[in-house]
Amino acid sequence: MRLFVRAALYLGLTLAAITFIYPFLWMLSSSLKPPFEFGTLALIPGSITLDNYRIMWSRAPFGRALANSVLVAGTITAAVLVLSSMTAYAMARLRFPGRRALNAATLAVLLVPGQLTLIPLYTLIVQLGWIDTYAALIVPYLCNATAILMLRQFFLQIPQSLIDSARMDGMGELRILFTIFWPLARPPLAIVAIFTFMGSWNEVLWPLLVVRDQQTMTLPQLLTVFALGGGAGTLGVSLAASMVLVVPVVVAYMFLQRYFIESMAGAGVKG
Amino acid sequence: MPAVSFDHVCKRFGETRIVEDFDLHVEAGELLVLVGGSGSGKSTILRMAAGLEAVTSGSIRIDDRDITRLAPRQRDVAMVFQDYALYPHMSVRDNLSLGLRLRKVPRPEIERRVRWAGGMLGIDALLDRKPKQLSGGQRQRVAMGRAMVREPLLFLFDEPLSNLDAGLRAQMRIEIGALQRRLKTTTIYVTHDQVEAMTLGDRIVVLADGRIQQVGRPIDLYRSPQNRFVAGFIGTPPMNFMDGSLESENGRAAFVADGVRVELPAERITALAGSEPRTLGIRPEDLRIAAGSGSLTSATDAPWRGRVVLVERLGGTSHVHFDVGPHRLLASVSGESVPEVGDVVDVQVLPARVHLFGADGRV
Amino acid sequence: MRAEDRSGWLLSAPYAAFLLVFAAYPVCFALALVFMHWDLVRAPSFAGFDNVRLLATDTRFWRAVLNTFVFLGIHLPLQIATALTLALALNRPLVFRAFWRAAFFLPVVISGAVVAILWNALYATDVGLINGLLARAGVAPVPWLTDPSLAMPAIAVMVTWKNVGFYVVIYLAGLQYIPRSCQEAIAVEGASAWQRLRHLTLPLLLPQTILVVTLSTINGFQLFIEPYVMTGGGPLRRTFSIVLYMYTNAFSYQKMGYAATIGVALALIIGLVVAIQRRVIGKAEVQ
Repeated sequence: MRLFVRAALYLGLTLAAITFIYPFLWMLSSSLKPPFEFGTLALIPGSITLDNYRIMWSRAPFGRALANSVLVAGTITAAVLVLSSMTAYAMARLRFPGRRALNAATLAVLLVPGQLTLIPLYTLIVQLGWIDTYAALIVPYLCNATAILMLRQFFLQIPQSLIDSARMDGMGELRILFTIFWPLARPPLAIVAIFTFMGSWNEVLWPLLVVRDQQTMTLPQLLTVFALGGGAGTLGVSLAASMVLVVPVVVAYMFLQRYFIESMAGAGVKG
Repeated sequence: MPAVSFDHVCKRFGETRIVEDFDLHVEAGELLVLVGGSGSGKSTILRMAAGLEAVTSGSIRIDDRDITRLAPRQRDVAMVFQDYALYPHMSVRDNLSLGLRLRKVPRPEIERRVRWAGGMLGIDALLDRKPKQLSGGQRQRVAMGRAMVREPLLFLFDEPLSNLDAGLRAQMRIEIGALQRRLKTTTIYVTHDQVEAMTLGDRIVVLADGRIQQVGRPIDLYRSPQNRFVAGFIGTPPMNFMDGSLESENGRAAFVADGVRVELPAERITALAGSEPRTLGIRPEDLRIAAGSGSLTSATDAPWRGRVVLVERLGGTSHVHFDVGPHRLLASVSGESVPEVGDVVDVQVLPARVHLFGADGRV
Repeated sequence: MRAEDRSGWLLSAPYAAFLLVFAAYPVCFALALVFMHWDLVRAPSFAGFDNVRLLATDTRFWRAVLNTFVFLGIHLPLQIATALTLALALNRPLVFRAFWRAAFFLPVVISGAVVAILWNALYATDVGLINGLLARAGVAPVPWLTDPSLAMPAIAVMVTWKNVGFYVVIYLAGLQYIPRSCQEAIAVEGASAWQRLRHLTLPLLLPQTILVVTLSTINGFQLFIEPYVMTGGGPLRRTFSIVLYMYTNAFSYQKMGYAATIGVALALIIGLVVAIQRRVIGKAEVQ
């Protein structure tokens, strides 16, 4: 490629990359700016202040919300990993009546937009008395059709001989699944873990429906309520709250970007 | 029809020399074959002619037009790729006509040429199919048709028969040769198969390590290989080689290799004056075998005594592998009376057919 | 019963139960709710076709549908063009390729709420970054989120920014499958870079383009957090999305039956639009 074209390409890509990264840097620096400096374009604040963070922390239980998000996302991810593996294993390697129907049902679930079931699920939660409980946040997400299909696809490829010799050694199915299949399935399990965790971490609409008590809110939910409810006061405080939500994700992303990309793009395609 | 000139063309990638000093004139209308093993640079040279690889130094001209820095689309050459490179989403007809459509050739002319190529290659029944519905041989023809309809200045073939089975390859070889003779388009053809090279080429260029080893007509390469590499590359089964040295006394000379002697006739000795042959080569078809010892007598040569270790019977010909001294040699024997494994045989060498190579090549 | 049958049922029983309670039941109940009035306080009452009739004449609902089409009209072409351009630019050996790909994908992993809050700040008329940059260029501040004709387009641009990295990855994957020899062949045949794009690259990327269109469309119809955070559905209800309207009916007005009706209508509309899109693009392929 001619030098000029190549240079133009690199320049264009760099400009594009800046467009994607700069807003986050601006968000970081704005969160550290005092209110009178807000709105300047300077990336480095004239005077760095942690006031926005102090205000944010004192006005709403962000620490608690962070813990809630970790609890909810963590539990869901663990449950999805275990339950989806069990189901995927059964669907891939065991023959039982109803297997095909289950497969068809799983595919059908993917076709239904979440909005269709949103209201009935909400009424169900109300009737179970689960409003403002962790159960409402966790239980409807315990199983994930995309995860099952992905794991099933992977489990289909494991040689039958491994299962046969394990059975001959007297291993039960659960033992086989967790001692033989799981170690082999690290890549797809990692992928499932990431998109499940991220999906749960970033979910806002459902928590907004079923949780009203600030003590039970998840972090993005509290952030939204806070930003909208005027508790923030200035944009600076909203942005400080956003940073709390974003920083762990960005840090994880910087180290694991390959897995993030593989996971979320792959899941999106299948979904 | 134009001629093509490569003037001291070099291709380097950093420190690595891929093609070194490739200097060659391709006559108008000839089918020139570039042959060599992998890494010999043959494909690189072809791709430089197509414009798919940059030339590090030197120039390429078509007649008097310097095309060295031109993009592929500006060169008016057509290329047949090893994997055919047919456009998978287009029908055969669209594959054939795309080049013409890109150049805004009028519709009736496009149709005429497509019909002509389809007829000549026997693919007119396939025009509406997609590549994935075709067999390997059919795809290969479509690839050739695509090159033909453009009526370009130059045809470039990049190992087009490599992906076909042996029978189809033999058949297509003949068809390609006939086609080229009919169209008279200047053609550069790359292959690793020396049988293809020998049967197709008007002239052959043997390449090794990015350098030309020899250029010439097939028969010339066969009869007078200029160095050990060409001698061993051309000809099936390959030439037998023995390393040794010349011994001369009293006006008579012989090449001796570990105790095995080949007497050289007088004319040969004078021609050799001053040079130092290190290797003797003799083609399997130039060795005569007679079963049993003592059955061959001749005034000028003492036959070798060999022990047969393996016989490959191919029907009309047989390949007899035998040991003479420390050397394992191969003789090509025709006819049906053939020695058995373990037999001791007399092997006669025709001195006129002996090749001698020194450090710098043929002597 | 066979041991394998038993194991199979035991292992998949939790999931089967889950499907029944959280998938099958809600779908059926959603359809049932269409015909009910329910405010979650008193018992539900039969509504006949009231909800459906209301939906058909509800200008707010159809306004939301129109808003979504406005959104898609800007978002879809912008998304395809941007993702394709970036993917084509990245599809070659480059020094920092992994870095750029990671940069484009970064907004994808960030929460939609954060992105909405961030762009709320970026678009802010007086202190926002965008108007700040424009001021440098001598342009007066633009009321991005408060001008009725600019608000939805502004959101469309933001959502494009958020998701484009995802589609870049999809297009990049598709580009891997275009054989190198085909690209070389078409160059030798006389194609300029533009002609190569038109005759070879784009047709072979059709599956990916269909995917981009379908996923972006579904995403567009599911728009919620962006208008919720940034505009509350205004100005003049121009950014009110269908899901936002559904949420308002459930949460604020407590009209469960009507909200469910909106949900069912949404599912049907999505299905219809996606089916039409596939038809149209499929026809383009035949050409």
